[in-house]
Amino acid sequence: MSNFYLFDTLSLHAGQTVDKEFGARATPIYQTTSYVFPDTDTASSIFNLERGGHAYSRITNPTVGVLEQRIAALEGGAAAVCTASGMAATFCAITAILSQGDHIVASSQMYGGNISLMKNTLPRFGITATFVDPTDIDGFRDAIQDNTRLIYGELIGNPGLDILDLEAIAAIGADNHIPFMVDATFNTPYLCRPFDFGVNITIHSVTKWMGGHGTAIGGVIVDGGNFDWGATDKYPTITEPYAPFQGINLWEEFGPTAFATRIRAEAMRDFGASMSPMNAFLLLQGIETLSLRMDKHLSNTASMLEFLINHKQVSWVSHPSMPSHSSHELAKKYLPKGAGSIVSFGVVGGREAGKAFIENVELASHLANVGDAKTLIIHPATTTHSRIDAEALVAAGITEDMIRLSVGLEDVRDLQADFEVGFRAAKKIAGL
Amino acid sequence: MGFRTKQIHAGVTPDPVTGAILTPIYQTTTYVQNSVDEYLAKGYSYSRSGNPTVAALEAKLTELEGGAACATFGTGMSAVHATMLAFLSAGDHAIISDVAYGGTYRLCTKVLSRFGIEFTFADGSNPEDVAESVKDNTKLFLTETPANPTMKCSDIAAISEIAKKAGAVHAVDNTFLTPYYQRPFELGADLSIHSTTKYMDGHNATVGGAVISNTAELGEKVRFIMNSTGSIMSPMVAWLTLQGCKTLSVRMDQQSASAMAIAEYLENHDKVEQVRYPGLKSFPQYELACKQASGFGAMLWFEVKGGLAAGKQLMDNIELWSLAENLGSVESLITHPVSMTHADVEEAERARVGIIDGLVRLSVGLEDTEDLIDALAKALDQA
Amino acid sequence: MYIDVNGRKAFATTGGKPFDSEQPTVVFLHGSGLDHTFWGLHSRFFAFRKYSVLVPDLPGHTHSEGPPLASIEEMGSWLNDALEAIDAKDISIVAHSQGCLVALEYASRFKKNLKSVSFVASGLATPVNAALIDAAENNPEAAIGMMLGWGFGTAGQLHQGPIPGNSMVGGGQKVMRGNVPNELATDLKACNAYQNGQAAAANIEAPVQVILSRKDKMAPYKAGMQLVDHLPSPVVHIFKDCGHMIPQEAPDECRTLLRDFIFQNNPSS
Repeated sequence: MSNFYLFDTLSLHAGQTVDKEFGARATPIYQTTSYVFPDTDTASSIFNLERGGHAYSRITNPTVGVLEQRIAALEGGAAAVCTASGMAATFCAITAILSQGDHIVASSQMYGGNISLMKNTLPRFGITATFVDPTDIDGFRDAIQDNTRLIYGELIGNPGLDILDLEAIAAIGADNHIPFMVDATFNTPYLCRPFDFGVNITIHSVTKWMGGHGTAIGGVIVDGGNFDWGATDKYPTITEPYAPFQGINLWEEFGPTAFATRIRAEAMRDFGASMSPMNAFLLLQGIETLSLRMDKHLSNTASMLEFLINHKQVSWVSHPSMPSHSSHELAKKYLPKGAGSIVSFGVVGGREAGKAFIENVELASHLANVGDAKTLIIHPATTTHSRIDAEALVAAGITEDMIRLSVGLEDVRDLQADFEVGFRAAKKIAGL
Repeated sequence: MGFRTKQIHAGVTPDPVTGAILTPIYQTTTYVQNSVDEYLAKGYSYSRSGNPTVAALEAKLTELEGGAACATFGTGMSAVHATMLAFLSAGDHAIISDVAYGGTYRLCTKVLSRFGIEFTFADGSNPEDVAESVKDNTKLFLTETPANPTMKCSDIAAISEIAKKAGAVHAVDNTFLTPYYQRPFELGADLSIHSTTKYMDGHNATVGGAVISNTAELGEKVRFIMNSTGSIMSPMVAWLTLQGCKTLSVRMDQQSASAMAIAEYLENHDKVEQVRYPGLKSFPQYELACKQASGFGAMLWFEVKGGLAAGKQLMDNIELWSLAENLGSVESLITHPVSMTHADVEEAERARVGIIDGLVRLSVGLEDTEDLIDALAKALDQA
Repeated sequence: MYIDVNGRKAFATTGGKPFDSEQPTVVFLHGSGLDHTFWGLHSRFFAFRKYSVLVPDLPGHTHSEGPPLASIEEMGSWLNDALEAIDAKDISIVAHSQGCLVALEYASRFKKNLKSVSFVASGLATPVNAALIDAAENNPEAAIGMMLGWGFGTAGQLHQGPIPGNSMVGGGQKVMRGNVPNELATDLKACNAYQNGQAAAANIEAPVQVILSRKDKMAPYKAGMQLVDHLPSPVVHIFKDCGHMIPQEAPDECRTLLRDFIFQNNPSS
């Protein structure tokens, strides 16, 4: 017997005390801006980080707090901070520890928004990045500079689906006293808990599988509590006195939650990318069925893979569960339950045939999200990754004919029938 | 405590656990009990019977109306329905204002009549007509004043007297004026009914209803029906309504001032046949309107010269005013009752009570008065 | 800050204010395998209310130089050496679990500057299950699981905590992973071997406070009551719904009890 509650129990209960006042079984939605203090001493002690408590919903909120502790529990972290979107999580996590003149080593296979943030936006503030092929472990080591303060990647690359070798890269980070931050959106804690492999910080767009229903935008930063910020002087935002809180030394006072506290004290307070209580409530509902949904996503994905692999009009199929995939062994190691529900494939006839396919399927929705309960498809070259140049497109593993499929929870027979309609339209274009 | 203070603070105490200044949205079905012996010790078991967010709204409405208890409902119609079920059984008789919301009329004539309840639609502007309608089995009076859509006012105090003599309960539909302007309990009524959809919410965000009772005993009867039939208000609706209530008086004052200006403008317009607004001296019951309420509200109607055809043309052409069914919201709305809100009232009955075909109903919102009048002016030019 | 104790570097947080030996001192002592962060929701509070605060990491733990000390008696002496090194006066000790045994030793032997002692979640002795000691040496992750699993009450098991977004269990786990196997095993063996509790308790002269919980599985309520019975007129508080980690599980209530007791027995100007 475990000393701790297991995944499914935590996904239902973690972070939630049954409402003290009325015993409400569901988490109340604290749709409030502010909190009345019983006295000035309590107020000042909350503001001065002497105690926990809520002062203003930009910084903390009881409903959002339940979601944060639930995700921290599922991920095996020390603390979590929710943000208004996945992008806000990435931005807040990076800027909590990096400043002008600092450098990131990042995987080249990432969500287009992440690449654009590091390539176009952060350089405006003096933070630069070197992008490395996620399968090139030596490339990560070689890209580290004196001013490198972060290694960043997505466990399941988007949309090439290459798997990051977490342990190998975490070791490079540890050797150089650099934290390793992973966007774990595509795997969720149900498929992989990156902290178990030496990762220090995870980021999720909880908009995706965690929420699972396409109802709310949100992000989360989870502090693994396993990075020794004090080992070097590279991280002054964590280890030096922080003026706004009477010179507090976060590393000294908070130890394993120092990084999360910095996010709370700075990003939430000064940038204000906070999650709304209503979104937190909707996302909590989603997380209650995370494992059930993920299992179904995976079984549907297996069926769809079989269907696509055997289809005459499919020129290629890519998913880490396929032995032909270059990351197949890494997928078995890090994602033993399954390698996620994103599949990419090419339609015979190239770009135009692919377009015809997308325009003619009806059940599969053509949109930019992933991880919805509903099946989604998109043409990355013209949409999610359209803001990055041709070279980066190749580096990201995107081809002109690529269709990205996010397998949903529908009856897989209906999905396959729907795809046949798309393939018939593609056939005409391809002149088959 | 004054009304304006009550509308902000009544019923709401900061959350004792977190200090949250607003009542949390208790979007929950059920409540964990400490032990079998302590069942209901914290007041709640299941959200059909009671919910802390809904309870905060009920407490606020009770205070605002100056009553003893409140039960809230999924819609204004379910509030009316529950009132009838609470006090009427097969073989009983009720006296209803002869002009009332079309849905109330439909409920009486097409639904409850099937269950052996008898209704008389009496002219509330003439207490004698009401008194003459009383029968041995009269158990309930329902007065809607001002009435939708004719704006006819009924004398709440006089009808309350008649009801008392008859040993019946007098319910007033107070939706149009709200307790900010009209105080049914101070005029002798027993129950005040609201479609909270209207001024209480005020933002077109929710549909909801409430019945406030003047005594705890009456309140128990209404609440029993609420729990038994289950047409309850959701916590989210209650929460939004709680927020709406906080600006009730300022909205009512501004919307009423605009309505007065618009009524005066229309009264002097060549293309307008007639205008009915309780605040106009020309209003047939101007004195009663002044006597039993402290404001005139933001509902009025007018008839364009040229009758139905001209009215329809105006409603189709007008800008800014939304052609829609609701009323009481911050958005100004224009409605043709004959084809919309009162379509279920038979033509003969409409004619009898004065819902004429050309009647154009206005619900004046919070926009600039000038903009509202400009829009009416342009539409009237085209009429 | 780092202080030199008998030639070894010891770390202690001072709660966000510099240590000032002119003010009364509140010393917080952590339990087995833990460190100064255990007292985060208490130390800063006193530091900002005109007390000088010292929350040391025991030798070998987190930031303090090793090796860990092998007996409670040695820890008591070490504490005195540390407090002398910084010239601390008017001392109040607040101790949790193993820290309480250290406090018993210190308070019975070094009475000169002692103003009060607050014992949280402890008995006179702390017998330790052999399986736990074995796990601490050979399967530290299991030992951490057992200790945190037994240590926290239900709310802790559900990864709740008084700081929004933070998991008490998650934080404790990360701290303990830095203090295994040697520090934790040494701590547990020292606890298990300690027999002087009853004699030490009887010899304490400073005002004492005992804070216990009915649902404590690590230092059971009955054992805690033995401590109460052998101390001279202690002020006793019993929590109903807490586990062993009272200062983290019920920090606000616990802080209020500590505040009232220390403000009364060791007032600051």
